[in-house]
Amino acid sequence: MSGAKILVVDDEPQIRRMMRATLTGSGHQVDEARTGEEALEKFRAFLPDLVLLDLNMPGMGGLEACRAMRSGSDVPIIILTVRNAEKEKVEALDAGADDYVCKPFGMQELLARIRAALRRAPSSPESGPPGFVSEDLEIDFADRRVRVNGNPVRLTPKEFELLRHLVSRGGKPVPHRELLQAVWGPDYGDETDYLRVFINHLRKKIEADPAHPKYVLTEPWVGYRFAIPGEQ
Amino acid sequence: MSAPLRWIIRLLASVALIGAIVFVYFRLVPVNSTTVALTLLLAILAIAAKWGLTESIVASIAAVLGFNYFFLPPVGTFTIADPQNWVALLAFLVTAITASQLSVRARGRAAEAIARRQEVERLYALGQAMLLSGSVRNTARDAVNSIIRTFEIPAAAFFSKAENEFFRSDPQTLAISDELLRGIADRGEPLLDREHQMAVLPIGLGGQVIGSLGFVGCTLSTAALNALAYLVAIGIERARSLEQANRTEAARQSEILKATLLDALAHDLKTPLTSIKGAVTHLLAQQHDPGENELLTIANEEADRLNRMVVEVLEMARIEAAKLHPDRAPHAIDDIIAAALRIQEEALKDRRVELRVPASLPAANVDFEFIQQVLKQLLDNAVKYSPPGSPLEISAEAANEKIVISVADRGAGIPEEEQSRVFDKFYRGRASRDEVVGTGLGLSIAKGIIEAHGGKIWVSSEPGKGSVFSFALPIFKGELVQ
Repeated sequence: MSGAKILVVDDEPQIRRMMRATLTGSGHQVDEARTGEEALEKFRAFLPDLVLLDLNMPGMGGLEACRAMRSGSDVPIIILTVRNAEKEKVEALDAGADDYVCKPFGMQELLARIRAALRRAPSSPESGPPGFVSEDLEIDFADRRVRVNGNPVRLTPKEFELLRHLVSRGGKPVPHRELLQAVWGPDYGDETDYLRVFINHLRKKIEADPAHPKYVLTEPWVGYRFAIPGEQ
Repeated sequence: MSAPLRWIIRLLASVALIGAIVFVYFRLVPVNSTTVALTLLLAILAIAAKWGLTESIVASIAAVLGFNYFFLPPVGTFTIADPQNWVALLAFLVTAITASQLSVRARGRAAEAIARRQEVERLYALGQAMLLSGSVRNTARDAVNSIIRTFEIPAAAFFSKAENEFFRSDPQTLAISDELLRGIADRGEPLLDREHQMAVLPIGLGGQVIGSLGFVGCTLSTAALNALAYLVAIGIERARSLEQANRTEAARQSEILKATLLDALAHDLKTPLTSIKGAVTHLLAQQHDPGENELLTIANEEADRLNRMVVEVLEMARIEAAKLHPDRAPHAIDDIIAAALRIQEEALKDRRVELRVPASLPAANVDFEFIQQVLKQLLDNAVKYSPPGSPLEISAEAANEKIVISVADRGAGIPEEEQSRVFDKFYRGRASRDEVVGTGLGLSIAKGIIEAHGGKIWVSSEPGKGSVFSFALPIFKGELVQ
């Protein structure tokens, strides 16, 4: 995993210095940006494998930069921020971020998250069902396509992986930890709020009534399960 | 010129006018008696219209006497030979009385209209004056002063119920006592004492009395008094709502300012910590001799500690700045407990946690994250203040529209005299403050959060046996969304 190109976006020079020293020391290539605007320029010129993005910057903020980068790319984006409110986290994940790390953080933790984000799930599943079809929902895992009532629905890579893992367990409850580790990586397990955000997104996209879901069900205390109509 | 003098002059003038007509027709222009009678009648009509009843009656009598003496046969005597002369006399009198009454009524109406117009103008001026006043107090004070100025009365007083304050135009004129004003405001019935020219009116809008207004030397009509009372009520209420709006806005502004400052402070404190922590943890991951490793570990732990303190102090400041706005939604209590247990998994790994949570528990209307933080704090404390390996218990039950959640440990417990103080800011247990790491803010933050939900948090403890921290939260009434 060494040798990844990482774009560090932060308006604080000391943090950029520290990140450059530690990430380079861990074998990565680093480029820096001080603002959201500069980040977008570097994003096109440097072509990073991963972006570490601060939220609180003058000018174009991190959220906007995140949306702009996500609109044309699947490059993993990890938000690094001093704010740790649930609302901010949800906003960042909504804007297309893959992960959210609160400052201050331990370098080993950040490196683990960088490794997990770079180790994206393969585009075609090695196991599990090829797809799922019911009267109003149609999923084709090989082509990464989802249709609701015949209309194509765009899922982000994380939403898609989440759905695939739930469907692959054939209607059985999947614990939070297992879902997190399957979709985000082996170092995850406590980020149940990620699941809440992404499950909500998923329900909004594939359920007729997201408040009373038919497919993606909550299993209290345990996790979630994909309900196959006709089976209980 | 005084009124009686003017009246005497008008009487003399009336008689003089009649005399002049009689003189002209008798000596200068000889005409028949009908023409004389008509001329006299016209004169009486004019006097009645211009001056009034008394003047016209006096003129009528003078006219009858003059007409009789100089023009009616036998001329030169006051004898009335022909009954038609009685008709002339009667005609003069009836004309005088009718015309004068009509004119008096018309003049009265005109005077009344002028008085009303003046009242309306004055009320308008008063309304204008009160609009410019600003605060409730200034408005009340200005209202009293404007009333005596615009209505030209000697004294006025206003009692405001909400402020329980009396506003007087002149402290010397205390004819309207405090008790009287208060009584009228309480009863809501006006007092009109025309004899002493005093009026005390309840002031209110929409049936609610907000105070009372009293005048001395007031000759205003009842309609004008009512209008005045309404005007004052509207002015005062307007000032009050403006004042309230300003206060709310000021509070909101200061809340925003505090929140912004706290955010800036959090950012500024955590940024250098981020660089330190990042650098130290990176170095720690490299190979070092044990001495270097120990020093780096200390630096890392202290950076963590500093961060914890920053977080807790800012959290407390936020709660104190009333910035804590729970994002409330119906949540299942067992979900929150499960989330808190997952967060504390590492700390709880050698503990048996007994759960007593009935499946039928209703949902609570709370902010998930905040309540999870409270539970996390209570679990953290339970672990810190009880012997390693001892069991913990989490229980929840619904009672009286509330859900009560408790975390119990089997630690040393809290002496009774300390139980009321553990929720105080920076307070740390006497027996353990040197052994257990902490800022003394955790429980006061928990208290702030629970109180922001309209709930209650408390502790019961028996020294030697353990402590039970409990909090009550409002139940959500409605259907729970999964």
